[in-house]
Order: sequence, then structure tokens, then C-alpha cells
Amino acid sequence: MKRRFVSAVLAAAAAAGVLAAAPRRAEAQEIQLTGPLKGAPAVRHQRLYREGRFELDPVFSFTLLDEYRRTILVGPRLNYNIKDWIAIGGFFYYGAISTTTDLSDQINAKAPRDALTAINMNHAGGNCGTAQPCTAASFADQTAKMQWVGALQATFIPFRGKLAIFNKIFLDTDFYVAAGGAMVGIQERSNCGGSGQKTCADPASFALQSTNKIAPTFGVGFDFFGGNWWSLNVEYRALPFSWNRSGFDSRGSGTNGNFPDGQVNGQDETFKFNMMISVGLGFFLPTKPAISE
Amino acid sequence: MKQARRWLLLAAALMLVPQAAYAQKKKPKGGNANPPPAAAPAAPAPADADAPAPAAPATGAAGGDQTGATPAPGAAGGDQTGATPPAAGGDQGGMDVCQITPDAPQCAAAKEINFGEEAKKQVHAEVYAVQQQYVLRAQRFEIQPYFNFTLNDQFVSHNGPGLALNYYITQVLAIGVDGVWYGGLNGESDFNFQNRRAARIAVPLNNYQFSADLNFTYVPMYGKFAGFGDFIFNYDVFISGGGGIIRTQPVSVIDPDNRKFTDWNNLVNFDLGIGFRIFFTRWLAAVLEVRDLMFFDRLENTNVSILPPTDPNGPLNPNGQVPWLDPDTHFTNDVQLQLGLSIFLPTSFEYRLPK
Repeated sequence: MKRRFVSAVLAAAAAAGVLAAAPRRAEAQEIQLTGPLKGAPAVRHQRLYREGRFELDPVFSFTLLDEYRRTILVGPRLNYNIKDWIAIGGFFYYGAISTTTDLSDQINAKAPRDALTAINMNHAGGNCGTAQPCTAASFADQTAKMQWVGALQATFIPFRGKLAIFNKIFLDTDFYVAAGGAMVGIQERSNCGGSGQKTCADPASFALQSTNKIAPTFGVGFDFFGGNWWSLNVEYRALPFSWNRSGFDSRGSGTNGNFPDGQVNGQDETFKFNMMISVGLGFFLPTKPAISE
Repeated sequence: MKQARRWLLLAAALMLVPQAAYAQKKKPKGGNANPPPAAAPAAPAPADADAPAPAAPATGAAGGDQTGATPAPGAAGGDQTGATPPAAGGDQGGMDVCQITPDAPQCAAAKEINFGEEAKKQVHAEVYAVQQQYVLRAQRFEIQPYFNFTLNDQFVSHNGPGLALNYYITQVLAIGVDGVWYGGLNGESDFNFQNRRAARIAVPLNNYQFSADLNFTYVPMYGKFAGFGDFIFNYDVFISGGGGIIRTQPVSVIDPDNRKFTDWNNLVNFDLGIGFRIFFTRWLAAVLEVRDLMFFDRLENTNVSILPPTDPNGPLNPNGQVPWLDPDTHFTNDVQLQLGLSIFLPTSFEYRLPK
């Protein structure tokens, strides 16, 4: 018992020695804490690019990882920066350019238009039998489009710093996280196959109709300040919601509804983590930033 | 034997405890004896980068956008925005710091500075945004374990662990090797099946086994961030590029009843990436990189033999009338997101020039 006690005391002493010997750097911190810099901020005389200023950005957004259709959206983003670390605002982007992906082009060129695909592949009618195919129509016309995105959001700016490029160009930067709610205007294939609706093999059923989606939105980005009143902005943004991007009837019956049911409706919508990269040029008002203590 | 263990523990305790005392700064005899050379315009930085920075006071303009706790003496630091802070030992915020902490080193220094002589000294006026880089990479090895995620292939994902080994020839240029193992981790997506069923069209798919590349890395950007206006961390941005091989193998989706692919194709690839490295310490960082692996892939032939399987040139023959592999190659971009750690060796280094 006594030996154990002695061993324990020695072990504790050794451990205490290790702990006491380890934090040499912490002692250096101690000097700062008790010295003239005690309580001093990490950054002095910082340009407060945001605090109390409005920020207006013309923005170009490019959708990423699109399956059937890419969209380039343009529009304004407006923020009011309450503090240097928080802002509120919103944006409205309009889908200015919408182009098909290579997959859409391949499907359009190679997919058969016959009785087996008549409810999924756009066609212009005809016999649509197995021996005589339907008259082909553009697959692109049935793929969904993102028409506009509007959002209200809060922006949180946790990191502020600077950047040296080739040791020649020096920029003030900040990193921000934005989150809010968005409304998205889309066009997708109209419902068909249900009671009172067109049959899905009807060529007219491939027409698109407008609808709105409500979705959360969040983004992360960098601002590179080129001067007191302007900045270059690069942002990644996500806009997750469900929609039927292909216009296919792919779900609705069978186990877990994983098999086609001859109808195109909400069950055929699939969740998509819609993503985009945005590039903007920010203009700040008033044009002169405040300087911190 | 038990006695020996106890003696060892005692010896360890005796050896370790006094080190805490050695780490303490010796108190100057008589209060202000041997003050630090605060007025020297080019006070040498600590030899060991991990050692605490000296508490040297500012002697000239030292305000601005300072992010370091210790302003550089003499010439204004690159962090500065042009504002002029109080001289060392002077009135800060309306209160003389020396009245509060008379033992503070700059209080001792202030009494001994001859400002007239200091003003005559030559000052190297060149100013850098970050005067002393937080991490020196030159002549250090970098070990970078990471995990790789496919970004652009919606039909089959090619995720897998990877490892990069780099040697920095200079502060901004490195050469190294990089490899990713994909074998057993390729995953076909549900999206592909949905397309096949709805449109009766199949897209040829390939699995990857591994890729290995010889890369050059260039670091054109570096900087630092103040987090929440409180702590500071450093980062850099690098671009890398090179070439190597990738092994791919088609997945039988066009004619799965007859085609069983077993051989891997060795293909030449080129890669180009851009990465972001956030330093936790001078030897450990988190890495995020986007890389595009480009190569001419061999895909499954979308044409199918109509000969009977018993025919020697039929669908069971990989080199028959209709070969299993498409005779044309297809340019492929495999865009990857890599998340990992960066470990620099040796873990410490010495600055050659003063701060």
C-alpha cells in the first residue's frame, strides 16, 4: 500500500513536471497579457469597410453540376452592413442565359421516340408504335429552367484579413457566410396523367409551366477590396429544393414509389442541391470607410 | 525491479520540474537592468520561429492595420494603414502605460532612446504586406494526406483517399508526387439508372483504380485573417499541375450479359489544381483543393454485336466483330475536391532575415 502511494506520488510529480515544462509558449502569451498590449485588439486602426455602409453588387451567377440545363443569372445584390461583422440584405437574380448540357444533347440525338418512351421523351405525335416511331421533338424543350431567384438573407463576416499576390499586389479581404430564405421561379413540365389532365403521351403534355419554389439558401464567399469604395466578390451559393429537371415520369408506384406510374407530378421531383458560383463587383456607400481604434 | 521503477519516476520528476523555471524570463536585477534593445532599427527576430516574439516596442510609426502583437521597430510594417500610434512608453488612450506597469520593457527602453540618433539611422523603407511570413516552406517536406470527392461526374463517383508528398525547393515552388486510390470506392448513381429507364439510353461508365502524378506546386498568394476580430490565422493559395497515369476500367452497361471487363487501361493524365491552405501551426495546416484530372478515356463500345454468342467473332470476343472497347478515346475531366491535412517537416525552421 505504501509502495503504491509512493509510486503514485512520484508519478504525479513526474506528470506535473511534464505539464509545467510544456507550456513555454503560454508563458510568452502571459507577457502579452500583463504588458502594454493587455486587452488590445488583434487588429488596430483597421479599415472598417463594411460598418454602416451600403453595398450594391451587380452579380453574375453560374449554376454548377447541372444535369440537363445550365443557367447564367444576373442581377443586383444589396446589403446594409450594420456592423463590420454582420449585414442584412437580399438579391434578385434573373436567368439570362439557359443552355443545355452535353447529356441533354446526347439524349436528344440518340434516345428513341417510340411507344416505350412516349411519355418521357418529347415528340410531335405520329403513330408512336414499336414499328413506326413518333416524330421527334426537342428534348431541351421539356427540361426544367431556373428563371429567377430572389432572397432575403443575413451575412456574417467572421474573418477579416489581407492577401499578398506575387508579393506585389496587396489586398484587404474578408470571408463571409450568408444564409436566408429564397423564392425561386422555375419552369418545369406540367402535371399530366392524372384525372382531368392530359395523358403524358400527349405531345402537348411536354409543355413547361411556371411555378415557384421556396428554399433555404446559404453561401460562403470572399471579398477582395481594391479600394475604399469597391471590392471584387467571389461566392459559392447553395439553393437546395426538389424539382423535376428532366420531365420524366420516374416515380409514383411500386415499392417505396420508386417505379413509374404513368403520371408526371410532384412525386417525380427529386431533391437537388442546386449550386452556383457568383462573381460580383461591390460598390460601397458612403465611399470612405471608418477606421477602428 | 519495482525499486528501479520508482527511482526512474523520481529521476523523471526531478529532470522535468526545473524546466518550467528555465522557461521563465529572468527578472532583471535592480528592476531595469539590461533593457531589451528596443531602439535598434533591425532587431533580430528569434532564431526559432516557435519561440515567443520579443516584446520590442515601436519606435517609429507603428500604427495602421497591425495584426501582430509586436510592432516592428523602425520602418512601418506592411500591415499599417498610415495611422500613427503613440511612441513607446507614451500615452496610450489617455493613460500612461508606464504609470500602470513601470516594469514594462518599453518603459525602460523609452528612457534610454536617443531620438536624435535614431532619426539619423538608415531605414530600409521597402514595406511588405506581411513582413515576416508565418511559415517558411523552402527546403521543407510536405506530407499531405487527404480524401478525394468527385465533383463533376453524376453517373459514377470516384472518391478515395490520397497522399501527396512535396519538397519545397524555394519558398514558392515545390516538386512532388501525388496518388489517389479509387479501387472499391467507385459508386454508380441512381440518376444514371433513372435516365436509362426513362429514355432508353445508356451512358458508358468507367471505374478508376488509382492515379499517380508528378506535380509542381507554386504558391503565388499568402495572407492572414483575423477571426472574430480576436485571433489570427495564416493561409496561402497554391496552384499545382503535372502529369502521370490513371488506371480505368469500363463498367458493362451497354451489353452486360456478354461483356465482363477485367483488364485495367493505363492512361496518361494531366492534372491542374488550385488549393487553399489554412495554417494551425507552423507545420500543420488544413488543405482544400480543387483539381481537374484530364485524360483520354477508353469507354465501352455503344455498338453491340448481333452475331450469336457461339460465333468466335461474336459478342463474347472482346476483339470480335464489334470490340468491347470503343475504338475512339474520349477526353475526360475528373474534377475532384480534396480535403486533407498538410504536415511540414521539419516542424521548425529559422528565419534568415529579421522581422
